[in-house]
Amino acid sequence: MTRKKRRGGGGGAASGEGPRADTRQDASERALHAEGADVPQRSPGSRTRPRRKSAPPPPPGKGGEPQAARNGREPTRLRGEIEPPAEAPAPPIPAERPSEAEVAARIRELEERLDRMIADRTRDRESQTMLPRSEPPPGRPSTAPPSAAPEGVLDTARELLSTDFYLRKWGRLGLRNRSEEVDEFGYDPVYEQKVLPFFDFLYDKYFRVEAHGAEQIPAEGPCLLVANHSGTVPFDGMMLRLAVRREHPQHRDVRWLAEDVIFHFPFLGSFSNRVGAVRACQENAERLLDHGALVAVFPEGMKGIGKLYRERYRLQRFGRGGFVKLCLRTRTPVVPVAIVGGEETNPMLAKVEYLTKALGIPYLPVTPTFPLLGPVGLLPAPTKWKVVFGAPMEFGEYGAESAEDEILVGRLTEQVRGAIQGMLDRTVGERRSIWFG
Amino acid sequence: MSLVATSSRAPSSRAGAGRPIIVAVTGAAGFLGSNLVGSLEEDERIGRIVTIDVAPVPTAGRKTRSYEIDLTQPTAEARVAEVLSAERVDAVAHLAFLSCPTHATAWAHELESVGTMHVTVGARHAQVRKLVLWSHTWLYGAHPSNPNFLTEKHDLRAPRSEPYFADKIEAEEQARKLAQRAPGTVVTVLRMAPILGPTVRNAFSQYLARKLVPTMMGFDPLVQFLHEVDAIAALHLALLRDAQGTFNVVGEGVLPLSTAIKLAGRVAVPVPHPLAETVATVGWLAQLLDAPPAFLKYLRFLCVADARKARQEMGFTPAYTSREALLDFVSAQRLRDVKLLSETTA
Repeated sequence: MTRKKRRGGGGGAASGEGPRADTRQDASERALHAEGADVPQRSPGSRTRPRRKSAPPPPPGKGGEPQAARNGREPTRLRGEIEPPAEAPAPPIPAERPSEAEVAARIRELEERLDRMIADRTRDRESQTMLPRSEPPPGRPSTAPPSAAPEGVLDTARELLSTDFYLRKWGRLGLRNRSEEVDEFGYDPVYEQKVLPFFDFLYDKYFRVEAHGAEQIPAEGPCLLVANHSGTVPFDGMMLRLAVRREHPQHRDVRWLAEDVIFHFPFLGSFSNRVGAVRACQENAERLLDHGALVAVFPEGMKGIGKLYRERYRLQRFGRGGFVKLCLRTRTPVVPVAIVGGEETNPMLAKVEYLTKALGIPYLPVTPTFPLLGPVGLLPAPTKWKVVFGAPMEFGEYGAESAEDEILVGRLTEQVRGAIQGMLDRTVGERRSIWFG
Repeated sequence: MSLVATSSRAPSSRAGAGRPIIVAVTGAAGFLGSNLVGSLEEDERIGRIVTIDVAPVPTAGRKTRSYEIDLTQPTAEARVAEVLSAERVDAVAHLAFLSCPTHATAWAHELESVGTMHVTVGARHAQVRKLVLWSHTWLYGAHPSNPNFLTEKHDLRAPRSEPYFADKIEAEEQARKLAQRAPGTVVTVLRMAPILGPTVRNAFSQYLARKLVPTMMGFDPLVQFLHEVDAIAALHLALLRDAQGTFNVVGEGVLPLSTAIKLAGRVAVPVPHPLAETVATVGWLAQLLDAPPAFLKYLRFLCVADARKARQEMGFTPAYTSREALLDFVSAQRLRDVKLLSETTA
């Protein structure tokens, strides 16, 4: 009864405790009105704040249902008890500004008192353990009066026994090692930091990558890196990314475009996406370039990965010239890149295309080790890698409309392909050993 | 910040700009409908609101006139035409759609696909100037070959075998047909991302309301949301401003599904997708599950839309990001979990 009276003071705040039917209607109706009333106003702060201690009762038309429910239940009940002590020491605020430490101490004290009150309350209502306590407060047993200690222990035990506690903990722990926000293409910098040691090891110790001419890449603005694709298991995207990040004077970040196929597979797709790969398509590339990103493409695509060992370093057809059209439309310079070493990591002797469609893969590679040793056979051989960046090629003199001119697009594609093939031939020719460079 | 301010920047280009607009809302007792009616009630540019639904509208006020028309009845188009012309309605917001899949697929087809036909035919006969249609970005379909941001130009590739999508795709086709047959009519289709917020209930909020949330093992697609307040504001804006065509209405930013589940404080249960599909098919057929197997694709592949067109051509910018919409939903859901908040009606 007394509670009901107090709630009356809370400005029409209805809660789940009152008579079921009228509460329901009242609350939902007000919520609907409220949503309609302050449609475009964002008040996430007021809504997500866990407890409103001495806020005035909300006007009947404002505030969504959650707030109403909260005002109705928890804070109104507490207000009668907590407000006088909270008000009493208030006057010093305008006279002299208390230091931050004082304020913090004061808040801590109030919070402790609130916790104690909630604890008392919980004990009163025998079966109620459902108050939304965010954490078991660590300092509480020491601050609680000594007589309350056994109940405090009991309380903690009850909390530990409830599944809710573990679900909450699990939820929190789940976000370790990853950032809460990814960029719009799904790159997660925190996750990349976590897996970076592995790629660093590959770059430094395993493939011993050498990068030449990274300074040819423009310091800023959109730019397209065009490279040969290599290896049955493609590591070249990530290695290219690391090479540019380490060797380029501005340490630019490369986003590379990966074949659709990897997004069909579990783990592979979402993993590559979190560390910086983006699905290869015109829309994505254009959007990235619009943001001034440095984008790497492997126009050979699946045919590049699927090259046999005897075809190594012979560039395949460059798709349908999509990357040239993209450059013409967006007036982006192209930097040709030759990656040497990658094509020997998993030398493919043959590929089996028989019945592989049923498994959802384009072909089954046969390397000296692969089907023989099982998944271990897919480990790359420790070849010596060289990444060579060529001089930027500008297509600025052709207008954006020339992207429709197939003959021109074909000619420019061949030009880029020739440049990369030349760099590949030169680098491969200078090399004395696959393993030591 | 208010809607009044944003839309007064570019006054609507309708013929009698001074006269208050008369708006009809179908499905007005649903979540979007009732909130839209509440929002229109407070807008002085709206002269009258005509609501069409089988249930009473909880937010109906001074300006509202309610008509009880069942869109699944064969006579509905005549009655809709009659009401629209008698009330001299300028614009119709057609919101009579289901936000959760149902096992009553035949009834859903009558309501969504055939009901939209009734409304468009009625609107054409009554020479209504504008039709605003609610739609869903999920109609683009989740495919590994989707670009990261789908624009309005992309085909609707949601599986037609699933009635929940097929009916909505047909409804969009009806609206497009209206635009062709009655060239003077402004047809605005708003494709909205999954709506989240403190009070809304739909397929996605039910998914996140579970304690154990099934996910597809090894797949973690990016998802985006729209706050319920933004959804209402977009519908309201579309009624006031003339914007011909289709618009994606989505919150800014994307987040991985796994992050969304973790921010919601839920436990993800990874299930291998072939197994999940079998279980979902059987469970759906046995009416044990409330989501059809076609929805599982959205837990594996991308289906994220680009909001640029709505910003540039309609002038709509959502107030909440995807993440804020999610957190707002979560804060209310927490209270619901511990029974501090009674279930909402919408």
